[in-house]
Amino acid sequence: MAAMLETDGLVAGYEPGLPIVRGASIRVEPQEIVVILGPNGAGKSSLIKAIAGLVPISGGAVRLAGVEITRVPAHRMVQAGLAFVPQTENVFPLLSVQDNLRVSAGGLPRADTAARIEEMFALFPDLARQRRLMAGSLSGGQRQMLAAARALIVRPRVLMLDEPSAGLSPRFVEMVFARLAEIRRGGVTVVLVEQNARAALAIGDRAYVLVEGRVAHEAPAATLWDDPVVAELYLGQRSDGGR
Amino acid sequence: MALQFLLNGLIEGSMIGLGAIGVTLTYAILRFSNFAHGDFMAWGAYSTLMLVGLIGSAVGTVAPIGPLSFGWPLILAGLGGMVFTGCLALLLDWLLFARLRARGQAIVVVMASFGASMALRNLLEFAFTSSPTYFSRKIQIARPIGLGIRITPDQTVLLGMTLVLVVGMHLLMTYSRTGREMKAVSQNPALARVVGIDLDRIVRMTWLIGGALASAAGLMVGVLVQIRPLMGLDMLLPMFAAAILGGIGSVPGAVLGGLVIGLSQAASVQLVGAEWRQAVAFVILVAVLLVRPTGLFGVQER
Repeated sequence: MAAMLETDGLVAGYEPGLPIVRGASIRVEPQEIVVILGPNGAGKSSLIKAIAGLVPISGGAVRLAGVEITRVPAHRMVQAGLAFVPQTENVFPLLSVQDNLRVSAGGLPRADTAARIEEMFALFPDLARQRRLMAGSLSGGQRQMLAAARALIVRPRVLMLDEPSAGLSPRFVEMVFARLAEIRRGGVTVVLVEQNARAALAIGDRAYVLVEGRVAHEAPAATLWDDPVVAELYLGQRSDGGR
Repeated sequence: MALQFLLNGLIEGSMIGLGAIGVTLTYAILRFSNFAHGDFMAWGAYSTLMLVGLIGSAVGTVAPIGPLSFGWPLILAGLGGMVFTGCLALLLDWLLFARLRARGQAIVVVMASFGASMALRNLLEFAFTSSPTYFSRKIQIARPIGLGIRITPDQTVLLGMTLVLVVGMHLLMTYSRTGREMKAVSQNPALARVVGIDLDRIVRMTWLIGGALASAAGLMVGVLVQIRPLMGLDMLLPMFAAAILGGIGSVPGAVLGGLVIGLSQAASVQLVGAEWRQAVAFVILVAVLLVRPTGLFGVQER
């Protein structure tokens, strides 16, 4: 069976001849939560941004449910079934919470949009109370919720998140990860780049460790934390990341 | 003090405001100051004039509507001019700006717009000479509307047209999918792509709308003042002042900014003399920006 999301020797980077992702191959099965870990500068964010069509790809392939999407423009990824939540600036600050959802539901049939917005408010009740507020006035945690709701409104098959817990208080970190587990139970495949390795591995099924733009190690999330290979690859980062 | 300046300012402000909508949208969405925008106004006026001539040669002389100086051919030609100028803006983007934008240096695009402005203006001078021309030479009688203010039928109708266009634009920006997408792109183009917005489509819409509204402003100047190749250049600084005053990216801001500039120019003609009119407008701009750097409707992003 085809993987839900697969990269095959992916090479990508902003400058021609200077790849950040240097032949990364990952495979994500349907409804898995896969965590991508690695030291700073390993190319974790660039990998998922390249999959999302935001970093130019110069080699390799990306497949979504068996269909090649390697050079599909970023704005068509939503239609293909792939949603992405960037780490920062992931909401439109001068649009209301409701309009953030509306503008992200552009591809849905008009009649469907209103219903989907209400479904998102049911999933994130905090946002429902703030629906008319400008997204720029939300707290960090609420913004992450809105960013997730914004990505989920189009019913993606795969949801990719870049460090969703960055800058959040521990209470919100717990809430964000609990929501991600819930979202997976709803049938969505989740790919997660995280510095907060301990929290991410707690909900993840499998993890890849990226070093210098390549996959250096792959293991079930449950055993990865105590894996001596990882300790070596991740040395110096683990004490910070696991806090 | 005669209050006629209020009406004169309102009319001048409407012309500036209509043009400033295009300036503010181009700046917010494409992130560059398009100095060729004034020339879209002139091209709008001349293309409308050409279309009026074409219609005239096809159907013969048409009587004006009621007390107005023009008949239905000008209305039809005005709409045609808006389409033409919108397409001209698209063409200029395709030929010039899009290629330079791809290299990622905003200042190069701004400089190119200076060049485009000169080329567009000179083409008009080449084709139509630099002497002024008119849609109609009919004299209109201004009627009193109280408080010592008088207004001509043409002015009434064109103010109505401005109101319809501005309200229409505001509704488009607030309630339509395209309007929301334009706002989203102006706030964060990368995120806009992530949520599935086709940036190229939004850029095309911005040029079409900006060009069409500039053409409407050109029509207004042409009917109420005169048509000259330099008409757009003269309006350029007031249009930029209006866009900045209103807050970049805000349609109501651009219109309000246009009215403030128009009214202050008209008032200064009466109070300090016509030679100071642009200076007064800029003193007001500087004063407002000192108090509110983001402009009247601009919002500071957090």
